[in-house]
Amino acid sequence: MKCNVAIVWMHDYLDDDLPREQVKELKEHLMACPDCRQRFEQLKRTDAFLHATMVEGLHDSADAGTDSAASRALTEKIMRQLPAQRRKQGWTAFIRRHPALTVAVVFCLVMFSSFLAMWGQNSELIVRGTDLQQLVFEGDRVIVPEGVQIHGDLTIENGIAEVHGEVLGNLTVIDGTTNLASTAKIVGENRQINQAIDWLWYKVTTTVSGLNF
Amino acid sequence: MKSLEARLARMAIKGDQQAFAELVGLYQDKLYHMAYRMLNNRQEAEDVVQEAFLRVYNNLERYDENMKFSTWIYRIATNLCIDRLRKRKPSYSLDAESSEFEGLDGYSMIPSDNRTPESETLLSETQSIIHQAMATLPPKYKTVMVLRYLHELSLQEIGDALGMPVTTVKTRVHRGREFLRKKLERTL
Repeated sequence: MKCNVAIVWMHDYLDDDLPREQVKELKEHLMACPDCRQRFEQLKRTDAFLHATMVEGLHDSADAGTDSAASRALTEKIMRQLPAQRRKQGWTAFIRRHPALTVAVVFCLVMFSSFLAMWGQNSELIVRGTDLQQLVFEGDRVIVPEGVQIHGDLTIENGIAEVHGEVLGNLTVIDGTTNLASTAKIVGENRQINQAIDWLWYKVTTTVSGLNF
Repeated sequence: MKSLEARLARMAIKGDQQAFAELVGLYQDKLYHMAYRMLNNRQEAEDVVQEAFLRVYNNLERYDENMKFSTWIYRIATNLCIDRLRKRKPSYSLDAESSEFEGLDGYSMIPSDNRTPESETLLSETQSIIHQAMATLPPKYKTVMVLRYLHELSLQEIGDALGMPVTTVKTRVHRGREFLRKKLERTL
């Protein structure tokens, strides 16, 4: 056995980490090698001194009275510095535990708020259609005069639709009202959208049907 | 069955301050001794203990009950000690003015520190050599040595507490021991 291996084993032995067969081998080597024997003695003493020195003075019996008083004082200090109430960690703990869910919730929140903002935003009159030349505008009122035929669809946002003539398509009124005269004729669908949900449904269906074409 | 510490921790999470006080009672001295051996200064050791328990308190719900509570709390405290040692000037001299207590140098801090454990007993030569040698050890060796010889933790436990492989712990204990042996060679 080489001496450098023996030294590693000495340390392992002191750490209670040397298998029994190797302890035997190490002992045999120590019997044969005076240098290693001396080294081992030194290490054993260092080990013992280290342990004694570390513990020495910390559990002094003569000092026990003041020691326990001091440690009580320290306990008090520790307890006093604690935050008076445990931090309410309900939602932070939740976030930590469910990051994916949190992201989803935040995403929905942002989408919903932007949608609401979009919905409330426009208050100007918007008219969309394929045949707008014949329409008459009076303030926020959009009039389809009597005897006039509007070809295609007509969409009016933020206004009042007064229909005296004919609309040969769908009539959609968003955030407004529809007044139909007795002479009015709407070939397609007549829809009025005032609720946010209706509006969203309308937007979604138009977008989807737009995608289909 | 859950350990006593785990149960106390649970009670403390629910707001039971008394339960936390019991935890403090269980570990306060151990942490203090460790910090004192690491830092060689009573005041700093007390500060570390206080800070460690504050961290424990604020992070109680992160305590993994499969881990030994002692391992967890030792990790917190050793990290605090290592931080402090790193912040110190590399050579810690009594003549150097302490940055924390302005105008006070190391000498003026000694008389007030009359509760030093060693003050009662005259230090043997060996002990003072060991203390000096320990003071010159780099923090990473010091931590391992303190946990090994003061708390008598096994290599595995030290590895868990410091978050390093057992082989690393082993190497550090061996080197630390070798280092001290050399320092003590004359007196052994």
